[in-house]
Amino acid sequence: MRKNDDPGRDRILARIQRGLRNPAPKHPPLEQSGTIFAAIIDPLDRFRKECGQNGTECLIVPHAGAVAEAFEGLLESIPPGEIFVQDVPELRPMVTLWRKDRSIRWSSEGRPAEQSQATVTLAEALVAQTGSIFVSAACGGRAASVVAPVHIVVASIQQLVPDLGAAFARLRERGTVENSSMLCLVTGPSRTADIEKIIVMGAHGPRRVIVILSLEPLS
Amino acid sequence: MNTPAKEFLRSAAAKSADLAHRSTIRTGIDHYEAAVTRTGARFLDWEAARQRCQAIKWEAINHLDKYLLEFESRVQDRGGHVFWAETAADARGYVSELAARKNVRTVVKSKSMVSEEIDLRQDLEKQGVKVFETDLGELIVQLRDEPPYHLMTPAMHLTRTEIANLFQEKYGGVESNDPQHLVDIARRALRDAFFSAEMGITGANFLVADSGIVALTTNEGNGRLGSSLPRIHVVVTGIEKVIPRMEDLAVLWPTLARSAVGQSIACYNTLIGGPRNANEPDGPEEFHVVLLDNGRSELLADAEQREVLHCIRCGACLNVCPVFRKIGGHSYGTVYGGPIGSVLMPHLGGLNKFQHLSFASSLCGACTSACPVKIDLHHHLLQNRRNAVESAERPFSERLAFKLWRWMMMGPMRFAILGGAARASLRAAHALGLEGTRLDPMRPWTKTHAPPAIPDKSFRAQWRTIAKK
Amino acid sequence: MKRVALFIPCFVDQLEPKTGIDMARVLQRIGYAIDFPEAQTCCGQPGFNSGYWREARALAERYIAIFRDADFVVCPSGSCTTMVRVFYKDLLEGAAREAASNLSSRVFEFSEFLVKVAKITDVGADFPHRVTYHDACHALRELHLREEPRELLRHVKNLELVEMPYSEECCGFGGTFSTKFPMISAAMGETKAANAGAANVEYVTSTDPSCLMHIDGILRSRKSPVRTIHLASILAQRELPNENRSQSVMTQTSQ
Repeated sequence: MRKNDDPGRDRILARIQRGLRNPAPKHPPLEQSGTIFAAIIDPLDRFRKECGQNGTECLIVPHAGAVAEAFEGLLESIPPGEIFVQDVPELRPMVTLWRKDRSIRWSSEGRPAEQSQATVTLAEALVAQTGSIFVSAACGGRAASVVAPVHIVVASIQQLVPDLGAAFARLRERGTVENSSMLCLVTGPSRTADIEKIIVMGAHGPRRVIVILSLEPLS
Repeated sequence: MNTPAKEFLRSAAAKSADLAHRSTIRTGIDHYEAAVTRTGARFLDWEAARQRCQAIKWEAINHLDKYLLEFESRVQDRGGHVFWAETAADARGYVSELAARKNVRTVVKSKSMVSEEIDLRQDLEKQGVKVFETDLGELIVQLRDEPPYHLMTPAMHLTRTEIANLFQEKYGGVESNDPQHLVDIARRALRDAFFSAEMGITGANFLVADSGIVALTTNEGNGRLGSSLPRIHVVVTGIEKVIPRMEDLAVLWPTLARSAVGQSIACYNTLIGGPRNANEPDGPEEFHVVLLDNGRSELLADAEQREVLHCIRCGACLNVCPVFRKIGGHSYGTVYGGPIGSVLMPHLGGLNKFQHLSFASSLCGACTSACPVKIDLHHHLLQNRRNAVESAERPFSERLAFKLWRWMMMGPMRFAILGGAARASLRAAHALGLEGTRLDPMRPWTKTHAPPAIPDKSFRAQWRTIAKK
Repeated sequence: MKRVALFIPCFVDQLEPKTGIDMARVLQRIGYAIDFPEAQTCCGQPGFNSGYWREARALAERYIAIFRDADFVVCPSGSCTTMVRVFYKDLLEGAAREAASNLSSRVFEFSEFLVKVAKITDVGADFPHRVTYHDACHALRELHLREEPRELLRHVKNLELVEMPYSEECCGFGGTFSTKFPMISAAMGETKAANAGAANVEYVTSTDPSCLMHIDGILRSRKSPVRTIHLASILAQRELPNENRSQSVMTQTSQ
């Protein structure tokens, strides 16, 4: 047991334990009553629809080789400036194909610069239910998916799971929960409703989130 | 009457008469209601979602010690620190001392009701630390030097024009009152702070016991930056935020998002397990979780109201409350306002001091219907009222009045005679044109209503006549 | 013959007797024999809502004794019905609580009784006016009545039923709330009155006479042409011969 030098700890725990001796009057059923969400029959179709609604741009390409091509198209819409890329075998060769005269910073060199125009990372999973992307600190670090105005995710269909429950199962199986100090479920560009409760896109995080989804494995 | 109650009456009366305020709130709430309705389609069975969330929190709160210990142990295994703060002062002390020890000059802070509850920002500022509120709504009220108006949307009482003027005054470069433009201004203003701050402070939406993870839900990305860039990350949270398992989030996240803002799911649902791992390219070197009690363990002991600790701080109860819609968030004068605040504050802040909040409700029950974890809010208001009476904290005149009321109602003859006498005196007063004046026995009523016609005969008197026929 | 006992709330007895009379008339019309236990006074709600549970408890026990043997108890108020059906359980313990539970299954709000027990939606009423329905809070959220009053109104001849904006929002009466926090209560009532005005109706109706008294007082203080009328009084209206038609308008406040 770890040494704790706050005496408050024991007092708080003692109060909690004493307090819980009075049972709470209502005991709601602990079993799930009724199915909460409809089953997702076509995850890819659902993923695309959700992305359409939450503002994620979803580019579907037939295979890994076509990813670089997709980038070329995207580059035109990204202002000149540094692009930060997760340093992994899946992305290294691809970058040479589309980088042209862009300055690239690899995640192995440190975190993205404040003025980065875009970041490029892999993902841990894609979730069809909400059109979301699960990233972790292993995807180029924590800042990679939030610092730049554009975040580009390269993923493959094998990573697509139907719903949140399936996503957690996948993360558990692959040991991602233990091995990463951070996980984040990203759903669309950053936004706020703090002004008159009207939704505005592009707050402190990216204003564009783009998924390049390959229908075949990346490597 | 004590001061918070008097101040509440004053502010509530003023705001209730403020038609411009009413209109701003109505517009905001309409957007919210429309969004909530739209998101309803995503749930096959919303009731089942509420029941599931209620069950998760019931399990967590009714085994709170077990889950807190599990959480602590796992956080520590991954190199994080856990501090158990009995009081607000203890929590403030820990964070301040940490900031001093680590030479923290700048803090970026994302939205945390607990940090407001303990006045953390003010405390750090006193020791010369610059604290940037990074949640847009919190930033706006910080710049105006006022408390947050609403649990979820701290600046919903302001129009875009008011915000534009504020930003122009504080930052300059404001070209229009377009919300998109104003958000850009805020983003630019805070970038430096994010990149230079030594410490990021966030709250927590959930503490996941089985994995020692802090779950943080945001939309703006400020919480993400604050937990990624600075070298120290501090989480301040109430002890009641615990949930048993990570999988519980599969239903909690969508339910919270719908109730809070009518979203399918929040933009960033972050799970933080500790400081950076050795093989990760960035992230904080230190991770601290401050678990705050501050009256929660006492509320826990109240088995009748324990479920109030199930609250996931979505703010839905405020949005649907017809009283909130009239008096606004500031009138409550407390960190937690609206129905949840009215139930909670007598427990966290003292029954005598805050009982008036539990009385300032028409008991319509909209809050209870809206609560995603099915807290019986309006029934708890009634229990607080009962507690206030039983602890003899009510005015003598009121206690006497209800004794008389009981006496009268225990005897039908008394009731009929006294009722008849009251009606006769009212008819006389109104016949003399005294309605609304000080001599009108119905004055509390006729101050705000046209007087009703007073019947000649009661129902029971008429019934006797009819029954004879 | 089927019998019902009338549960006439204390303030209906004293201030809105017509509501009780009209309810009794309708029940008779559809074939029920009516009892009015004269010993009744108050269900205890005002004390209960103000936290005076000990005082309210005495009244609750008395109430249960009075109505114990009734086959059905019918009440023209959602909030008073709620007090008996929902809150007596919180107020009482042991044998008294069981007696309350037992009685609960036989206590009904008026529109609920007509639709769910008597299984009647058309009581032969005629009310040629434009009417909107205010969803009284207890009836809506504690008794779960939303369609029942509307069904009854839809079957009233010549009645045009329209929905007003925010019909489910509280009118602001809330019992002693209206005297403890009069400014908030009045502001909430004003919003309700404005919404009724926006619906362009002649009448606002509801299951709850206390709501209607509050809304009525606000409407008249604003010189609004909109009037209030209890659901029972609408249902009691029959088609009158032509020469009496002009006198057929009955307001909530007439005697």
